[in-house]
Amino acid sequence: MSAAATVKRKKQWWRSYAIWFILPAFILYSVFVMVPTFSSVYLSFTSWDGISESIRYIGLDNFKEIWESPRVHNALKNTIIVAIALVLLENAVALLLAILVDQVRWLRNFFRSIFYFPVLMSGIIMGFIWMIILNYNFGVVNQLLDMLGLGVLKADWLGDPDFALLSIILSTVWKASGYYMIIYLAGLQGIPQELLEAASIDGAGKWKQFRHVTFPLLAGATTVCVMLSMIGSLKLFDQIAVMTNGGPGFATETLTYIIYKVAFGEGRQGFGTALAIVLFILILIISLIQIRLLRKREVQM
Amino acid sequence: MAKKSIVQLVSLIMAGSLVLTACGSSGNNNAGANGNSPSSAPTNAAGEGDKQEPVTISIGYATGDPATKQAIETTIDAFTEANPHVTIKNISETTSDSYLDWLKTKDAVGEFPDLVEMRDTKVFADAGKLAELPQELHGLFTYLPEYGGKFYNAPLTGNAPNGIIYSKKAYADAGVTELPKTYDEFLAIQEKLAASGISPIVAGGKDLFHMGFWVNYFLINNVYKDDPDWNSKRTAQTASFTDAPMVQAITDYKELFSKYVDKGWLSTGDNQTASMLITGKVAQLYSGPWMFGQIAEADPSFEFGFYALPNRDGSVIINGLPTLQGWSLSAEAAKDPAKVEAIKAFIAFFFDPAQYSPYLATVNGIPTTKAEVTYETGEQMQEVLRLMADSSVPKSMMINQWFGDNAIPPQFRNWFYKLLQDLVVNNGDVTEYMKQSDTEYDNNVKANNQ
Repeated sequence: MSAAATVKRKKQWWRSYAIWFILPAFILYSVFVMVPTFSSVYLSFTSWDGISESIRYIGLDNFKEIWESPRVHNALKNTIIVAIALVLLENAVALLLAILVDQVRWLRNFFRSIFYFPVLMSGIIMGFIWMIILNYNFGVVNQLLDMLGLGVLKADWLGDPDFALLSIILSTVWKASGYYMIIYLAGLQGIPQELLEAASIDGAGKWKQFRHVTFPLLAGATTVCVMLSMIGSLKLFDQIAVMTNGGPGFATETLTYIIYKVAFGEGRQGFGTALAIVLFILILIISLIQIRLLRKREVQM
Repeated sequence: MAKKSIVQLVSLIMAGSLVLTACGSSGNNNAGANGNSPSSAPTNAAGEGDKQEPVTISIGYATGDPATKQAIETTIDAFTEANPHVTIKNISETTSDSYLDWLKTKDAVGEFPDLVEMRDTKVFADAGKLAELPQELHGLFTYLPEYGGKFYNAPLTGNAPNGIIYSKKAYADAGVTELPKTYDEFLAIQEKLAASGISPIVAGGKDLFHMGFWVNYFLINNVYKDDPDWNSKRTAQTASFTDAPMVQAITDYKELFSKYVDKGWLSTGDNQTASMLITGKVAQLYSGPWMFGQIAEADPSFEFGFYALPNRDGSVIINGLPTLQGWSLSAEAAKDPAKVEAIKAFIAFFFDPAQYSPYLATVNGIPTTKAEVTYETGEQMQEVLRLMADSSVPKSMMINQWFGDNAIPPQFRNWFYKLLQDLVVNNGDVTEYMKQSDTEYDNNVKANNQ
């Protein structure tokens, strides 16, 4: 493109019809997403209770409290545990399932559907069902343990702080893995068969084929899945709200959960908004780092 | 047993789907409110001589307790039948949230009920969401709770005392022949029960409000009995959670919960406690008279008793002072005279002995009206009414029920109950946890004053 043409195009930007295609969506998005988002930034500097008309400016007090509050620290710790555990487990399970359903000969579609079904369920319904399964007195898990004579292993899965977070993590892995399985499966089926054949002729066993051919070629799918599961786990809310209500005590409170609790339950909309902004920045930083790291692995085919 | 858990499962799933249906149907409700309420409009036009303009009011109340929910629904149906020009839009939902959270969410989305069962009068009155109770209705009640010199609430029932609901069979099996006269005797009974192989006490720790029953037993008997103004002193920072009586209360609580409360208490919901008692898994439940109906309905042949739990020196103090709770008008509805008329009619109808006595019988409530209400009561309820009527039994209140200068920051209660759960599961140091409570309380007070 010559310099003269650029200058000309700059002068007549309205002639570029691309802008007119973008504009309606841009305006809608701005009015309904950008404006509310940015106007809520102001609320994070206030002590608004969410109900009354008066909104008082209190400077950085909310952020100071976040910095000092042990409850927020605990929630942050839980958020990080949940995020790391979910990203690792969900992707490992999804990849395993994808390989299995890719190789299976019989009932191929049946297995694919079965593993995908939990994804279709709403988090709230799923939470209720797991809550009943894991109930200490009436739950299936403990009754099965009893029947098998393993009564000593019985635990209050959602009421014991040692198990509550774990129970939430495992049930979420059960729910979400199917979704990532589909993405991995698509990736697996895009891998040319010749490459695997060539590797096997060179004497590579199953594991080496996976390690040096399949896995590197799945980098694109991995980037997407890790990214999505990280975002999903950082905003995990329904399961916690239904299954434990953040309890026992504060044991399963995550940032998203206390944002809701503080803003709506405790009438501290200002403080809640400040927390939400902290979470926003956190997700932004993590996502940027992740994209940068994972993109490096991707190869063009 | 298996049948019970199926019932439980079904009801929980139903509860879950109700939450969802509520989300889905709110749009339809709004459409009905905006223009046409097809069911009522035609009947009204055809009504004989009834020339009143059709009016729609929305109503919201706490539905956590099935008996109460049922009783209020019955009254609403009877009212709309008698007053076809009034359409009552019942927007109450059973959610996993506390009632206060639910109301705040409703307010945030602009659906605050016109007529609302108010349990946190201070919060909503301060925010200007409530209107005063119309003068004409004042005469109905023997006592009206007052906040800032104004009356906001038409009390549904008198504040009911908590007490031990126990299985007579479990007591007999453990060789308990006499009810305890002191708290130490009560603890001795727990030992006997545990030795007989039954889990002594069930608590519904998954629902934070349930924590309040036990926690406030200890607070009332250790702190409020000598100092009803403790809360205001705490607000003024002249009293501390680390004071000896408070530490004693929490230590007793911790001991009881660590030793005698059924192991699954943190994942047990309040609505599971009755079945735990009936199925013989546990021997006792610390709750209130609203449970009697549930228990009797679930198993009419189950024999149970009720007594107020005495304290160490053998005296009995119960929570029973009138609280700032009851039906309230929203400030928004008060601007519309037609709505006010309809609400006044509803409240008068609700407290009419013809409706009020079956309501009280269902919820095992304590009457608040001047008009005499008679209803059948069981042996347990008679004990409750005796305690309430006995002027030698001092009455007190729960930590969050005090009002005026003694009101605590509204957000503090749930946090405090959570902290106390944390204390038990982590076997924490009471004084250390009470220091945290002081810090949190002061922060809350500061945050609310900003």
